[in-house]
Amino acid sequence: MTVLILTCTQDVTADLVVDRLDARGVPVLRVDPAELPGAVGLSGEFGDGAMAGTLSVGDRRVGLGALRSVWVRRPGVPGSAAEQASAWLTQEASQALYGMLRGSGARWMNPPEAAYLARHKPWQLRLAQECGLPVPATLITTVPHHARDFARRHRDLVVKPVSGTHPQDPPLVVPTSRVPPDADFDAVALGPTLLQRLVVKRADIRLTAVGDRLLAARKEVSPGASADDVDVRFAPSGHAWRPVAVPARVAEGVLGYLEAARLAYGAFDFAEDARGDWWFLECNQSGQFAFVELDTGQPITDAVAAWLARPAPRR
Amino acid sequence: MRMFALDYARPAQECEVTAAPPYRYDPSLQLNVLDDGRVAVRDRDLLRVLGATTSTAGSKTHFDD
Repeated sequence: MTVLILTCTQDVTADLVVDRLDARGVPVLRVDPAELPGAVGLSGEFGDGAMAGTLSVGDRRVGLGALRSVWVRRPGVPGSAAEQASAWLTQEASQALYGMLRGSGARWMNPPEAAYLARHKPWQLRLAQECGLPVPATLITTVPHHARDFARRHRDLVVKPVSGTHPQDPPLVVPTSRVPPDADFDAVALGPTLLQRLVVKRADIRLTAVGDRLLAARKEVSPGASADDVDVRFAPSGHAWRPVAVPARVAEGVLGYLEAARLAYGAFDFAEDARGDWWFLECNQSGQFAFVELDTGQPITDAVAAWLARPAPRR
Repeated sequence: MRMFALDYARPAQECEVTAAPPYRYDPSLQLNVLDDGRVAVRDRDLLRVLGATTSTAGSKTHFDD
């Protein structure tokens, strides 16, 4: 039984897992959906009450019924590398690939429909609340006077993208940023804006969940850090990530979240405040993990490989 | 006037991972390898330097940091 990894060729985090699965003797097929059609071939026949299909890349080939698991890591857009790429080809390739794979009986990290929903930050915040994880006061609005009222009540705010994506034309990044007290909120009328009460944090927490295994790491805020450096991804830091135990209530909330979201993997970001409480910021359903493992030595790659290597469920 | 969050945007090139990493994909291994044939991810120091596994790596094309 084979593990299928859907990702682009440059994804070295996937390399870590491929290397580990190779060492365990688990067959792996690595496919970038961007190369379907082209280097990647797909065929499936429905007849006699059954479906038989194959997926191939180069001289590697696997029957869809022989897949034990599918890891959706950093897949390219289906059909996008094809000679005659088009939006319609992408639709055709996407439906053919994911539709057939979804019927294969393999276990998914993560199921595409669950991943789609799990990317929506407003939904994440609501689910976190329902699971008992503390969420900082947040407003998503296109109404300027709602933004002004929120700023009056909560004073110190940050702004971040609702979607978690960044503008591409021109290429920009939009880090989570502190909003000055004299900010003019008229421009929220031009697009949904996510404002959140600033959590004055003493550390950032990245909790990586693989199945029911929770591995948390903590990065202390440097004593001399600027109050405006609120986004750990872009802030200078003299501290490395260190392993940290997961408080029981957080563990319960995270496991509840994963179950409700039907996720096998999630990278949770929390802000730890001065009292030591962990405030939920977001859950990236395919978040990076190797940067934490490099610092902490936590066996996240092992956990992912072990989850993927488990047998497919009986059908 | 522009969208509120864009007032806090920065040029992407400040944050992009190295454009041309010193490894290439080997389809026979299904792994990226260095010029001398070694598997790139076994060189942990190199991964640190390149930042290819950081939480912003791939942000341009994928929105899961």
